[in-house]
Amino acid sequence: MNDYIIETNGLTKKYGSTYVVNQVDLKVKKGEIYGFLGPNGAGKTTTIRMVLGLARPTKGSIHIFGKDMKKDKLSVLKKVGSLVEYPSYYGHLTAYENLEAVRILLDAPKSRIDEVLSIVRLTNDAKRPVKGFSLGMKQRLGIATALLGNPELLILDEPTNGLDPSGIIEIRELIKSMPKEHGITILVSSHLLSEMEQMATQVGIISKGKMIFQDSISTLRQRSSSKIRIKVSDTEAVSKKLLSWGYKVGSNENYIFVENTSDREIAEIIRKLVNHQCSIYRVEEEKKSLEQIFLELTGGEASL
Amino acid sequence: MGKVIASEFVKIKRKMIVFLVFLGPFGVVSLELVNFWLRYDWLTNLYKDNLWRGLIGEVMMLSIPSLMLGLTIVTSMIANIEHQTNAWKQVLALPVSKAKIFTGKLLLSGMLLFVSCMLLFGGTIILGILLKFGTDIPFLYVIKMCFFPLFSAMPFVALQIWLSIVCKNQAIPLMVGIVGTAVSMFSITFPDWVPWKWPLLINEWGNPIYSVIAGLILAMVVYAGGLLDFIRRDVK
Repeated sequence: MNDYIIETNGLTKKYGSTYVVNQVDLKVKKGEIYGFLGPNGAGKTTTIRMVLGLARPTKGSIHIFGKDMKKDKLSVLKKVGSLVEYPSYYGHLTAYENLEAVRILLDAPKSRIDEVLSIVRLTNDAKRPVKGFSLGMKQRLGIATALLGNPELLILDEPTNGLDPSGIIEIRELIKSMPKEHGITILVSSHLLSEMEQMATQVGIISKGKMIFQDSISTLRQRSSSKIRIKVSDTEAVSKKLLSWGYKVGSNENYIFVENTSDREIAEIIRKLVNHQCSIYRVEEEKKSLEQIFLELTGGEASL
Repeated sequence: MGKVIASEFVKIKRKMIVFLVFLGPFGVVSLELVNFWLRYDWLTNLYKDNLWRGLIGEVMMLSIPSLMLGLTIVTSMIANIEHQTNAWKQVLALPVSKAKIFTGKLLLSGMLLFVSCMLLFGGTIILGILLKFGTDIPFLYVIKMCFFPLFSAMPFVALQIWLSIVCKNQAIPLMVGIVGTAVSMFSITFPDWVPWKWPLLINEWGNPIYSVIAGLILAMVVYAGGLLDFIRRDVK
């Protein structure tokens, strides 16, 4: 076997005649924070549900820790903690009792409850009924529940959904600390690329049920090629002049664009333009943000 | 399996369910107290041959519909604990088989209803003593009449827990249960094979045990069917 913690092959889920998840090969290595990205409705949650054994794949296989989910579901789940979409909790119970209800099923030691409460900083609210908690606190309780069984793999589906900025930062820091401090591998899904940028080491992008990109975050960044934008007095005349000199430039009404050039070439262009008495107003670098790449990859589905 | 039950008991803490378990038998016994208190002379004259049997007969007229209604509400509430915040996805992603979770819910319902029957038994005995029906108490008969209806009604417990778990909208199981309760109230004229008649413990052979046996067998069948359906389903 190889060293993938999660490996799916041709994972497919069909509802009626529509493919919600189509031939997804998810590969998550040990110790990674794997960011699972995609617009709303792309199939993230369905994929995660299948990985957790909550939904049955129409086709394809899932191996976690090298074990087949179909055969060894329960022994796999023993080492997996999960938080799927909105937090599940029992509102009439206190945070402590909520954890107790799950702890009994996991057969974890009682002391583990206090440990996870302190990890998510809910120790002081442990004796309050959960229905009075803020969304952020409920989300943290959900993460605490996921951590109860000392998992080796944590699966978090949209853990920062609906949180305020400080809540998001808190959850993010919590997630980032996990692999370092506890050696946990994390699969975290989100529709926000900006969020993934700040914590993921690997990313998988899913759109309309299909995996369209899966690699390290730095590879994704490399795609953000930059171009130089020049604003001059007479755009049309200058761009014709540059083309006649053999430079590959594009232009619109206001700007001239030079793509994939070296610093030396830019300097050369500018020197020539100055020598030809052109007024240069601005020379700027335009960098494609990850958001734009994401949009390009997902075919412009607006969901940022 | 013990773990699943223990976890279920943690979850029903501070829920109305526990209150209902007491309310059912308490309501039945106190209504009978009023019944006998208001028409003491007439009823004691009517049942003068066997006062205890008379009392138990009156109790059962109320306890069986309450049992049918009670099991509907209890199963619905037990399932609803998970429905409220869709905790199914949390529970079923734990290393516990779906069969155990389903069975745990059914056993919890059975146990709570059993407690109700015990309270009904105690309450009936106390009521009889208060009414000065003597200390020559037919314990075995009282036990039979308090617990056998529950055993014969087990197919309905299995049916209701399955419906309550599978339907997110609790109106469906509640409607089925309430219609069932109404049907059971008029079931005395039904043929013996109709399950709604079984909790009355009345059959052609004149022995309640046949109703119990039929109930337990059908309960196993309904349970197996419900379980298979639950396992097959994807978790919402």
